[in-house]
Amino acid sequence: MLFFLTLKENHEVSFSPFLEKDKLNSGVISYISAPLPLAIIQIVQERLYRRQPFSFRTPKNKKNILKHQILKILKDYRWDISDLTWKEVSEDSCFHEDRLDPGQDIGNETWKAFNQLVLGRQLSMGDLRGLARELRLNDKEITKLAHYNVEQGRAQWIPSVKLSERGWQCQRCGEKDVEEWPSFYGAAATCRSCESIGASTSLNVLYRDERSLLDGPSEVLFQPYWTFTEAQGLASEQVSEFIKGTSEKMALLWAACGAGKTEVCFPAAAWALKQGKSVLFAAPRQDVINDIVPRLQRDFPNYPIQVLTGTTTSVKFQAGGMVLATTHQVLRFWRSFDVIFMDEMDAFPYHGSRALEWGLKHALRQGGKLLYLTATPSYDGLKATQLGEMMLIRLPARHHRNPLPVPIWATSGNSLDPNGCTSIWEKQIESLRRQGPVLIFVPKISWIDPWIKCFKHRFPGWSVDGSYSSDSGRSIKIKNLQLGQYDIFVSTTILERGITLPGIQVVVLGADHPIFDERALVQMAGRVGRTREIPGGGVLLLSKKMTPAMKTAVQWIEEQNRLALELGLIEPLEKEGKGLEGVVERCN
Amino acid sequence: MKELWRDVTKITRALWYADKQACLFCGKEHGPVCLECQTIYLCPELGRCRGCGKLIPLEKLNCLDCVAGKGPKQLDQVTAWGHYSGGFKEFIQTIKFKAHPRLIRKISRPFSDWAISQIPVVDGIVAVPMHITRLAERGFNQAEVITSALHWELGLPILPGVERLESRSSQVLLSRQERLHNLKGAFVVRQPEYYQGRSVWLVDDVTTTGATLEAVAEVLRESGVQAIYGLCLAAGLEKRLVPLQD
Repeated sequence: MLFFLTLKENHEVSFSPFLEKDKLNSGVISYISAPLPLAIIQIVQERLYRRQPFSFRTPKNKKNILKHQILKILKDYRWDISDLTWKEVSEDSCFHEDRLDPGQDIGNETWKAFNQLVLGRQLSMGDLRGLARELRLNDKEITKLAHYNVEQGRAQWIPSVKLSERGWQCQRCGEKDVEEWPSFYGAAATCRSCESIGASTSLNVLYRDERSLLDGPSEVLFQPYWTFTEAQGLASEQVSEFIKGTSEKMALLWAACGAGKTEVCFPAAAWALKQGKSVLFAAPRQDVINDIVPRLQRDFPNYPIQVLTGTTTSVKFQAGGMVLATTHQVLRFWRSFDVIFMDEMDAFPYHGSRALEWGLKHALRQGGKLLYLTATPSYDGLKATQLGEMMLIRLPARHHRNPLPVPIWATSGNSLDPNGCTSIWEKQIESLRRQGPVLIFVPKISWIDPWIKCFKHRFPGWSVDGSYSSDSGRSIKIKNLQLGQYDIFVSTTILERGITLPGIQVVVLGADHPIFDERALVQMAGRVGRTREIPGGGVLLLSKKMTPAMKTAVQWIEEQNRLALELGLIEPLEKEGKGLEGVVERCN
Repeated sequence: MKELWRDVTKITRALWYADKQACLFCGKEHGPVCLECQTIYLCPELGRCRGCGKLIPLEKLNCLDCVAGKGPKQLDQVTAWGHYSGGFKEFIQTIKFKAHPRLIRKISRPFSDWAISQIPVVDGIVAVPMHITRLAERGFNQAEVITSALHWELGLPILPGVERLESRSSQVLLSRQERLHNLKGAFVVRQPEYYQGRSVWLVDDVTTTGATLEAVAEVLRESGVQAIYGLCLAAGLEKRLVPLQD
């Protein structure tokens, strides 16, 4: 989108997307005839500001000097614009009060809806166009509304990608490695890193709404459908202290898999909402968000929850002070949240993505609190807690007071081959099956079909299936799996985290594959024994050799159990996985 | 330090084996355009209508519209690299609407090679101009970027001086007749002296009816251009590939 550079009577250099006199800001006396990218106008503003000599008296012809200076700056670019001149706004129109009145223009309802939907948002022109369609407005009308808010000081237009002394930077995701290209206006740049939610270029703008999602304290009905276990209670208190406190800005909640770490945050979230503080639950994957939604709806009856997920580029505008979003969607917010709960911080695609980390930090309001929730902290995360940069909160035990199942390793011999299923193996899987359905993780998609065939062949009469990320039947199969309709289910890491399957037993085929780091292994092992009814189960790692990742994973799980035992959060250890041990010894 | 390490690995990798490039149209197989996408989108088994560039059966010279005299008349020949559909269409739209003019560089070699094998060598290349308002909005004219790529690969000079006077309503929603009419007087040649007696390629990104090419060709003819060859990245497919039985 382009803007007209305007000059006001008080010598202020400003801009407007419109030329119509009644839409120009009051006090505008002249404007440049050709519309320009906002980035260029900002350069003009900066240069003028730098040149401005300090003086108490305004020279008489300051207006003309300014006009001359601006035109000179613009003409120095040597664009191919023949008509780059000043135009005057006629006298009679600059004083009148007939200004843009959005309420009258488009109806109060739409104006209200628009304002509800853009609170705290950071939207590209593409996003605004999407919003326009939802509100049944045209592009020009929505631009008017947005610009009205900018004029009122509630929002800002900013160039989507900006050039500073240190180079280009995308203003939406913070990426500096952008693609530069020669444009009509000289060098321009396009950001490739956040492209999946719409184009971001230096010639275009973002609408940044600076208002808070909530306008003040309010009544919030919080009715937890559960009672905390001792472990959760302890952690929840610490979380609340952190959220209410003023000292720490970030904290890490390190929980055992299936300990109910999300719920631990609910009381703090309820407190924040009551105080008029906005809350964001963010997670890298859609599955995780979809899993949290019903839990929040159950415990916060009647409270509006915004759910923003999806691979679609549509914005799906909703209102309310509590937002659930995948990390990409977080880039559409700007300093909006007082509290952010970032679930599964280490999971793909968040882990290692600079852009999304930047987005998360910038979605936080000044003085806001950021709590990372994880069962498998990253190296950087743990280090930050050791250095005291981040507070550490532990939740080492599950609600049923049973220890986490510790994985058992069995050597698979030379190689894992779907055609050479050994008999030792079959016994182990059979023994696991007696305890519950068996979930088998494989490192690659290409392993799924051969292994399904192999198991079907070895265990006739058993129901065997499998799935992977781009499988079209994925969601149906996962539903069936949750209903316990399979004896064996083969999967890639898509089922690694965030899902509870009653009675499930886990086998990791090729556990020494580099894709299975300690985090993945802990998560996969964490699928077992999550329910009160069936709190135990077996985890079997099958591989040719033992990798450091496998060792670390076992150490982490054992350490959680030890801490839980020390704090008296679990019952003293009983013998677990009896069915397996005999076989494993033989393997070793 | 991390950045440095990344660069070092990248360079080492590039030294070790040619950095594998994914196909620009499907993103999967070996690029810049994989064999499968070449078959699907570049359609070597189909001919191009000499009148408007549309993809037609190989044995035919013209599409039915051009046979009926409804096509462009000022161009000696029009041709298009591929079929405007699927991944190829997405690729062109990414260039235009997601501001990635530099993607054109990645197809400049195969496209130029193909072009020079299809139409005669000429004195210069002309890009279909864009109106200043649209140009200011988008920041670049994709036809100019394609022209520049052809110039770079083939060494043919770029001929300037054609201008679009008015931005007419987009051609997309108009009928064939309306399209031709819509563009009357939309283009002008500022420096006809460049063009007297020349032969040119007239370059655009996409053509459907050939109306835009025709309108530019008209003013080029008036400026004394001898031969005009229309060249586009993509065109439509003749709908009635299978003759209807009467």
